[in-house]
Amino acid sequence: MPPKFTNANEPGRGYHDIGGLDYGAVDPITTEVAPWEKLSIAIGNAMGGQGRKLINTDMGRRAREGMGEELYNELDYFERTTESMKITLIEQGLFTQEELEERMKEIEGRLSEVRGS
Amino acid sequence: MVDEDKKDKTDHGHVHDHDDMDSTAHALEHIHDHDRQFQPDIEDEPVKRYELMVYAIRELLLEKGYVTQDEIRKARETLDSWQPSRGAQIVARAWVDPGFKQRLLADGNEAMSDFGVDAGGAKLTVLENTDEVQNVVVCTLCSCYPRAVLGLPPDWYRSKAYRARVVVEPREVLKEFGTDIPDEVTVRVHDSLADLRYLVIPKRPKGTDDWSEEELAAIVTRDSMVGVVNPQVS
Amino acid sequence: MSQLFHLGDRVRVIASHPPGHRRTPYYCRGKIGQIERVCGEHRNPEELAYGFDGMPLRRLYRVRFKQSEIWDQYKGQEHDTVDIDIYEHWLRPA
Repeated sequence: MPPKFTNANEPGRGYHDIGGLDYGAVDPITTEVAPWEKLSIAIGNAMGGQGRKLINTDMGRRAREGMGEELYNELDYFERTTESMKITLIEQGLFTQEELEERMKEIEGRLSEVRGS
Repeated sequence: MVDEDKKDKTDHGHVHDHDDMDSTAHALEHIHDHDRQFQPDIEDEPVKRYELMVYAIRELLLEKGYVTQDEIRKARETLDSWQPSRGAQIVARAWVDPGFKQRLLADGNEAMSDFGVDAGGAKLTVLENTDEVQNVVVCTLCSCYPRAVLGLPPDWYRSKAYRARVVVEPREVLKEFGTDIPDEVTVRVHDSLADLRYLVIPKRPKGTDDWSEEELAAIVTRDSMVGVVNPQVS
Repeated sequence: MSQLFHLGDRVRVIASHPPGHRRTPYYCRGKIGQIERVCGEHRNPEELAYGFDGMPLRRLYRVRFKQSEIWDQYKGQEHDTVDIDIYEHWLRPA
């Protein structure tokens, strides 16, 4: 469906700043939040305003707005939450992209072992 | 089988504080947050990238001392305490107790503390639906939401379709929820983009005058506290 | 403590699109609304987003806009409104 109200390519409109655009019908569903998704929120809260205050909500929003339009449109909400938290934690020097990738591979390996696959 | 002597000297160099367990649980122990409620999907599909990322972030932050397991656990518990049933109780109380309702409208945080609600820095702002006004809440830029009283926002609230369209064609969007607002009622959309978090007191349905607070709370859905539906008496 | 605007004042939102993290949405920029509520003062989120301290505090307002004045093709009712939380530095007298 073509945009009815404004053009998505307006200069100066961030890709997250979508009030007034047309994205089709709202699907009024509610699905359950997975445990890992809750964990992503909990870690963010523990590192931010509710806890260590090493990051904050505004930094997280900025990271959402800066991850690139492609990623922003491809990922779902909790994936974006995780991606923006990652960007912020790396920017603040808490760990590196390399350390993260390495650990992700390792965990994936551990999980495969557990499943015998 | 894990060599129990090596249990405390892992490759990662950190110490576990858990009890005896077999290798399956040992592998999983690195992954979940020690609350024993969680099991990753033991199916054939690979774990998704972002799920792995969350586990990796957790481990790195713990190992580097930027957070403790206890802090994460507490954050999880706080998150779990944030449920729409809280909001429903507050609405039911507002319906039966005009004094409480006035306090709520004047200062949401103060009034909600009666229910032990800690909004964590957000300024809870309460809006009342009437015969003249239907309030509807959105965050067009992300998905801000009064989580302390409504829990995590549902898929539809987070969706681009809702965020983009409710601000420009609210009556059409409400119809997609099955809600028809008469022409003479003002639809007031609230774009919550700062520290204010909005909770809607929906209109109390007719025929509930002798209901208890508990019965009333049972018909107050989360969606009605955002303003896209109005509570019904079945 | 600053408070440039008061209940009922007509205000116009700044019409430009500055880069970086902003919390004033595109659709209301350059539009005229009315102060519906004077809210508290907060650290500026546009600065907090980059790790600055966000000081000095900025006054927040709830600005009420008629939908028919925001959107050319608004299909709802003339009395429908949209209320937006906007910081003082984004507002000018109208």
